[in-house]
Amino acid sequence: MDRFKPSVKTWIQAAGLVFLVGLPPAASALGESFYIGLSSRILIYALAAASLNLVLGFGGMVSFGHAAYLGTGAYVVGILSYHSVEGSAFFNWPFVLAGTENAFILWPAAVVASALLALLIGAISLRTRGVYFIMSTLAFAQMMFFFFTSLEKYGGDDGLSLFARNRFGSLDLGNDAVFYYLCLGLLTGFILLSHRLVNSRFGMVIRGSKENETRMRALGFEPYRYKLTCFVFSGAGAGLAGALIANQTEFVSPSLMHWSVSGEIMVMVILGGVGTLAGPVFGAAALLLLEEVLSQYTEHWMLFLGPILILVVLFAHNGLYGSLAQGKIRNG
Amino acid sequence: MAETLMTARNLTKSFGALMATDDLSLEIAGGEIHAMIGPNGAGKTTAIRQLSGEITSDAGTIHFDGRDITALPMHKRAHLGLARSFQITSIFLPFTVEDNVAMAIQAHDGHSFRFWKPARSDPKLRTPARETLEKVGLERRVDTVAASLSHGEQRQLELAMALATRPSLLMLDEPMAGMGLEDSKQMITLLQSLKGKVTILMVEHDMDAVFALADRITVLVYGKAIATGAPQVIQADPAVREAYLGEGRTCSA
Repeated sequence: MDRFKPSVKTWIQAAGLVFLVGLPPAASALGESFYIGLSSRILIYALAAASLNLVLGFGGMVSFGHAAYLGTGAYVVGILSYHSVEGSAFFNWPFVLAGTENAFILWPAAVVASALLALLIGAISLRTRGVYFIMSTLAFAQMMFFFFTSLEKYGGDDGLSLFARNRFGSLDLGNDAVFYYLCLGLLTGFILLSHRLVNSRFGMVIRGSKENETRMRALGFEPYRYKLTCFVFSGAGAGLAGALIANQTEFVSPSLMHWSVSGEIMVMVILGGVGTLAGPVFGAAALLLLEEVLSQYTEHWMLFLGPILILVVLFAHNGLYGSLAQGKIRNG
Repeated sequence: MAETLMTARNLTKSFGALMATDDLSLEIAGGEIHAMIGPNGAGKTTAIRQLSGEITSDAGTIHFDGRDITALPMHKRAHLGLARSFQITSIFLPFTVEDNVAMAIQAHDGHSFRFWKPARSDPKLRTPARETLEKVGLERRVDTVAASLSHGEQRQLELAMALATRPSLLMLDEPMAGMGLEDSKQMITLLQSLKGKVTILMVEHDMDAVFALADRITVLVYGKAIATGAPQVIQADPAVREAYLGEGRTCSA
């Protein structure tokens, strides 16, 4: 299965990567630099979808609250940047945590905060099964949504604007092309890491637990610990996506945590191909481009998006990427 | 008789008003093939589920290898050397045959919080997996996806997964379930070759298989063990004939 021969899958991935690398210069040359921003947004949502896919596609855990981790990552960036501009501390006790606009501190902090939230939510939700699991992840995410909505100090439901994008060493993130390439690099890195992960011993346990948990226990595994770890990785990935989206839009608000965002990320995974590594990228691109194009013609674009989604689910069972790469994708 | 490997005392389990296991006591001697028979609904599978730890008992104790395992969950019992197969084939259908057995090996090769090295090219998992598959006669199917195996082959794989962990007690829930005559014969030969190497507790409806394999038989009726003994003794037991084998039926031993 992992013997190397340039399959359809390899070609699609290579072509996709060449396209993504060549996009900014091409867009600038055509005078359509607007597309660089849109593409960054696609890459960031692809990262969020790829992280959801870890639990949903490979672990069979239908988390309907991934917006919570996305939003948490974004708020870590938003709140600490706000304090940095204001020159105040986030808190003074038990130690002083001052604000900062340094991405080298903020982004890892966003990842850690989201991972911790995922640990807490996962530890409780993973004790339930099926529809109860879906509902409890949703309920936790809605709690986060209402928590940030009521957080007046940080803008409540109006949200919080960033003064500027974060400092990232000598890179100028204010430059859209630079920011785009950074997103592309992080997304590619995340997908490569996921590839190692799902094919490792850990990955086999996760995938086995998706198929048959009782059998896993009979063999001597305790699926809970592995599933929870996977859930935390997934939350961490979504947290990084959150830090990026806060920078891309220079704005954070509770709407990032709304359940409809969780739904959109899930649609991206399903549209692209559940349990495929590159699928979420295709899914994110398809959904956001459709939204972009359709909304130019009508404000009721959802009305047209719905049937398209249904057609994909009905006829392209493995999603867009899954169907293109034809079978063989089950193993990553 | 050899030393006792597993002792269950006064096990009970009820599901609502239904007493699935009613004061069941059982001794399994090291090295024997112990068959558990009984009419449908006698509580055989429930007993296996209690002994393996899939479900907890309402009352009673289970000792294994001199240790009280009554409170241990299934995955911990597995690490003590207790393996089981399922009545309804429980294999990982999208995985290859070798993947399935390698998963069993992996479960007994330390923790699996190993995130980097590809599991599919790990000789520590793959070599013993192939050896086990040779034992059960599936060596030609290693790269086949489990879902496309025949029913008989899936049952063999089910057994291979239990065997792969080198258990000291193997609990087989109807290993011949749904098999044709040829497949059954093959399975009987296979189990015969395990005799003496591993202790087996087997639930089975196929009486030819039971009498060909078992050293001792326990008869379960309504969750109670009504008789335990050598096959000839069980065959001659009037209570067993009455309750289970039925009027006028003779068993070919």
